[in-house]
Amino acid sequence: MHYFNIIVLLSLIVFSIAISFIKNLFSTVIVFMIYSLMMTVVWQQLNSPDLAITEAAVGAGITSFLFIAALKKIKEVKK
Amino acid sequence: MKYKDTILEEVCRFLILSIQIFAFYIILNGHLSPGGGFSGGAILGSSLIIIHLVFGKSYLQKKINSQNIPAFISIPLIIYGLLKLHSFLSDTLHWPHPPIGTPGKILSSGFILPLNIMIGIVVAFVLYQAFSYFWDEEF
Repeated sequence: MHYFNIIVLLSLIVFSIAISFIKNLFSTVIVFMIYSLMMTVVWQQLNSPDLAITEAAVGAGITSFLFIAALKKIKEVKK
Repeated sequence: MKYKDTILEEVCRFLILSIQIFAFYIILNGHLSPGGGFSGGAILGSSLIIIHLVFGKSYLQKKINSQNIPAFISIPLIIYGLLKLHSFLSDTLHWPHPPIGTPGKILSSGFILPLNIMIGIVVAFVLYQAFSYFWDEEF
């Protein structure tokens, strides 16, 4: 279980650095979604399932929907 | 905007039902298990967003009239405020308390269950409304 925590935390660092370096905005949103899912696992490991449910619903669900909707608006403005 | 995809529609017909049942479970069990009004409301709102994306806006319009959504948001907020006012003042003014009930049952812990239900409704419709402003640009 100890190594699992280390892998999840390292993946969080990798994802957060990758978000700032990826050029394609849609890929950035998807990586941000994966970051939120990993954060859910971290909250569960920290014994706070309440925050884990909220993070899974808001972080991975609603925020990604809103980011994708914002991307759609940006593309319409560029056209 | 509607994507005409039969597989997506048929899968979502079953998936949305289970998502909504899970959301109601989280809201109603908020005072006993992890979760609560905000988490369950966010899940319920995301199920509304999926209905909007998959079946189109006109399908949701038949179930929920979008002109009534501000009322769906404001009426639970007013009830929430009144209940919270009652729970703040009831100790000093000796107003009647709701029954406590047996711990561990759904109908227990006084005001927390109705407050969770109100917050769930508010969060679900606010998130859906925010998404619908982004997607349909109707203000």
